[in-house]
Amino acid sequence: MDTFGQYLRSRREAKDATARAAGLPGLSLRKVAGLVDLEPSYLSKIERGQQPPPSERSIIALAEALGEDPDVLLALAGKVSSDLQAAILKRPALFAELIRELKDQPDHAVLRIVREVRDGTW
Amino acid sequence: MLTMRHDQLSFSFPDVHPSAQVSIDFQRTLRIPDDDRSYPLPPGLGRFPLRHVDDFAANLPPEWLLRGGVMMPMWQAEAMWLSFGAGFDTEREASYPCAVKIAAGKRSAVTGKAWQTGLGRKPQDYVVVPTQPWLDGFCVKKGFIRQFVAMPLGQGYSVEEQLDGEAEFGGLQIEVFPMKRVAFERRFPIVPKRVRARGWDGVLSSPMACTSPLPPCSDAAMGLAAGGKMRQEISRDPYKADEWDTDHGVRCFVHLCNSAAWQDITGHAPPTTPPNARSYANAGLPWFEYYSDQPAVGGGELLKDIRSVAKIGKTKGETPLPENGAVVPQVVIGLAPRRGDEVRVGEM
Repeated sequence: MDTFGQYLRSRREAKDATARAAGLPGLSLRKVAGLVDLEPSYLSKIERGQQPPPSERSIIALAEALGEDPDVLLALAGKVSSDLQAAILKRPALFAELIRELKDQPDHAVLRIVREVRDGTW
Repeated sequence: MLTMRHDQLSFSFPDVHPSAQVSIDFQRTLRIPDDDRSYPLPPGLGRFPLRHVDDFAANLPPEWLLRGGVMMPMWQAEAMWLSFGAGFDTEREASYPCAVKIAAGKRSAVTGKAWQTGLGRKPQDYVVVPTQPWLDGFCVKKGFIRQFVAMPLGQGYSVEEQLDGEAEFGGLQIEVFPMKRVAFERRFPIVPKRVRARGWDGVLSSPMACTSPLPPCSDAAMGLAAGGKMRQEISRDPYKADEWDTDHGVRCFVHLCNSAAWQDITGHAPPTTPPNARSYANAGLPWFEYYSDQPAVGGGELLKDIRSVAKIGKTKGETPLPENGAVVPQVVIGLAPRRGDEVRVGEM
């Protein structure tokens, strides 16, 4: 499995190539660094694994800039988003048990417990 | 099924096709001047927060709970636009088309007609995603919309009140229909691996504060009114009527809650008011023009004579839109049809 830096670099380069092929502005390292308010040299070191992943805030900004799922990037960085941490801390034993129970379940089984937006009468 | 994640609605149709998905989020933006000049597209300033109405049942009027769905905060006279994303099938290198109906106060934003079940073709009362990347307002004329602007329900400004004579529903209503699986697979055959474009991938990856019921909650309901004029085309449906799977519609009521009441209802602060159009334009920040290669639908017959907020305000002797002076956008960025994850956020 890719490390955080490898994954980030591969996704950025793929999106950069896609955008350029469509005649749109690319997503160079400098451009992405500017979008997320990081120094290009620092982002470059993160991509090459010479620096650990940045803060949660920067990871979420990177996810937004690249159109990636922030939870996936945070997981690759070995982090859990603060809203999930808060949710787990509220009922830690229950959520620990739930995750262990579900960890090997297929996606469709897990999706059965995802909360749907309730439709009413209108 | 309809789920909500990161302040975004996700409509998915796993029974139809794994890639049959549409994401919709509601973008905060500038209110363009309501002065009958036409303006380019304003930027997106981030998503409005979305919450399940069921989570705040004790503080909401019963009709909100009856209708279900989600709610979001908007300040009086605040504008917004809808951003659409489509699920992407990597084997076919194609986004999965879906038809999206949008109404405000149960009046179609495309035609002005009252909400009907299914898809209307003549005139077309829906947009096709991913062909249509955004919707900023009511389609008043071919190539022009009037911006969605939130106004308190019951004061006579909303499009619903103009067309129906009463303020019954407010909010936004959305229904999504996927393309039939057989039509999708016929139109978009599997692309052999060796000719796949490198890096071509999906558009989608894809506490209660109040202890007592709040009488002002009913007053918190907002409806969408017609604001300033903007250049935006509603693309004509490029597909055939029988290619849409109208047996699998999923719908959602999006209640608009006055931001002034949001904190009392949810315990959380709403987003601040956005910058005004003049200071944004004067700072040289970008506006956008979108060039589509699809033919556009005409304006809604019922919407062409709709009165804007400023016009109604003048009749009533009110000034509903502060800071409504004309502005001159200095930087306008042209955008081609969306590929990949491009969004119109600009470099701010």
